[in-house]
Amino acid sequence: MFPELNSILNTSPDNFKGGEYILVSDKKADASFLIHHFLTFYLRAGCKVCFLGLVQSFSHYNAVSQRLGVSLIQAREKGQLVFLEGLKDSLSVLAQESPSDEKHTLDYLRPPCADLRGLFEFVQASVNQTGSSGGALWGPPVLVIDDLSVLLSLGVSVGAALDFSHYCKTTICSELQGNIVTLVRCEEEEDEDEIEDDSSDMLLRGLTHQCSLGLRVEGLSTGYCRDIHGQVEVWWRERCGSAQTQRKVFQYKVHDKGASFFARGTSSAVL
Amino acid sequence: MLLDVLQGSEAGGFIVIQDTIHCSGRELLKCFVNTALKREDAVHILGFETSEEELRNGLDNNCALKLHFHNGYTDPLGWTNCSLFTVKQFTTEHIGQLLKKSTNPKATTLVIDSLSWILRHHNPVTVCQRLHELKKGGSVKVIIALLHSDLHQRGIVGSICHLATTVISVTPGKRERSAMAKTTRRSKSGKVMQDEEFFNVTKDYAVTVQSRSSYPEPRQTEAETTEADPTANLTFNLRLSEMEREAKEKVALPFVFSQEKKSALLKPVKGSGRILYEPDANDDFDQEDPDDDLDI
Repeated sequence: MFPELNSILNTSPDNFKGGEYILVSDKKADASFLIHHFLTFYLRAGCKVCFLGLVQSFSHYNAVSQRLGVSLIQAREKGQLVFLEGLKDSLSVLAQESPSDEKHTLDYLRPPCADLRGLFEFVQASVNQTGSSGGALWGPPVLVIDDLSVLLSLGVSVGAALDFSHYCKTTICSELQGNIVTLVRCEEEEDEDEIEDDSSDMLLRGLTHQCSLGLRVEGLSTGYCRDIHGQVEVWWRERCGSAQTQRKVFQYKVHDKGASFFARGTSSAVL
Repeated sequence: MLLDVLQGSEAGGFIVIQDTIHCSGRELLKCFVNTALKREDAVHILGFETSEEELRNGLDNNCALKLHFHNGYTDPLGWTNCSLFTVKQFTTEHIGQLLKKSTNPKATTLVIDSLSWILRHHNPVTVCQRLHELKKGGSVKVIIALLHSDLHQRGIVGSICHLATTVISVTPGKRERSAMAKTTRRSKSGKVMQDEEFFNVTKDYAVTVQSRSSYPEPRQTEAETTEADPTANLTFNLRLSEMEREAKEKVALPFVFSQEKKSALLKPVKGSGRILYEPDANDDFDQEDPDDDLDI
């Protein structure tokens, strides 16, 4: 959890707004530090967290979270965290020739299944546990996805990914007043003209229409710099009364334990 | 023009509000809903992208009874078995049934939020056909649809817009809290009118259009400065009067070989030398080898 980012977004673990759909995207940079931020933020806030880790192993996330002061193992044991280890589970699904009947979570990996209904049912089930077993132990549910664009390379269509995201939004944001954090990676396009039919860009645009808060991480256009790792564009969509979105741009540097954010041109290397 | 479209109650209309990720058109759509409610029209909303509470939020409570929300938001694909309206039910018959709830078809507005959702699950040709049927069917007065134009191929957006009587494209304005609407309106006679306006959406979902004079467009002033005449303060003349042109045409250019010049040059002058040449036997001039006599 990065306190500086909290003050930018005007939230804190004790006091945050429910029903928000946060979209994190990156281009020519790595935005996974924001995923770690939101994961630790919501665990600290006492929310019931469902994490779809599709690109890294559990131990990786645990190691990073420990540096930020939260133990994922403890959270999982307490029942606060539901972790889908996409890497491990998908391997067993792919290796297994005959489909097993009990689990449909990763159905999208099997050829005939075109939608992500199984994955959504997993999310729904893990989010609804709040009522049955744990009582009112945990706060509003939170879904964190790292990252959604990896599904595209596994053969899922953009439309199916958007449908999945819509269902998550209706269940978590609208019904249960929880939050969603999704990471989407954009391919680095060599040719600016070819953006029209790039599927990851299409997914990003579709999700942008759904989200309420967007964090866009980009590398510096001037190239690598030791003191500034890139810039984050923060935008709020559809605040009441204004048809236009609000934007703010910050530069950031990721440290060993945390990250610092500053206005453009005010890094220690410049001043 | 935006206000005309907003207030207009022309029958058989189909209004498309186009937006992109840079500027949402939903606020404008809500303004349309609000105005229709204030006209005491029955408004039917096929809502896929926003929940009912979110949509009703900020609208006039007095007219809320006239607003019928067909919930395609909670379960549009029938995944959770609590579907009230699914995307597959986007057929003329089904919508016709939904619309029967309102008594007066002449005062019924159908709002689609959004067409992008429907286009993702239906063939574009089918969508166009059904929209056309709805438009011609007479069960609704006007159809208002939101379309995220950056989620579809240009051809599909184009064919939807061809069906529409009015297309409003929303783009971000230069100032905060204002957006620009480019309105293209086709009247029944076939006349096409276009206009660009800056507008604001107030908290109670009314549209205020800023007049052009109070909103100086930076782009236009830029164009004016670049259009300043560079030939204004020249020390020489770029254009010729008729007299000047005639005089210019009379002057013979120095290296043009006119007939007069030729004759002047060829005329023998008294006292000038002449070359007389009579070839003798030694002058055995060979045409093929002019350097024959050089003895190299």
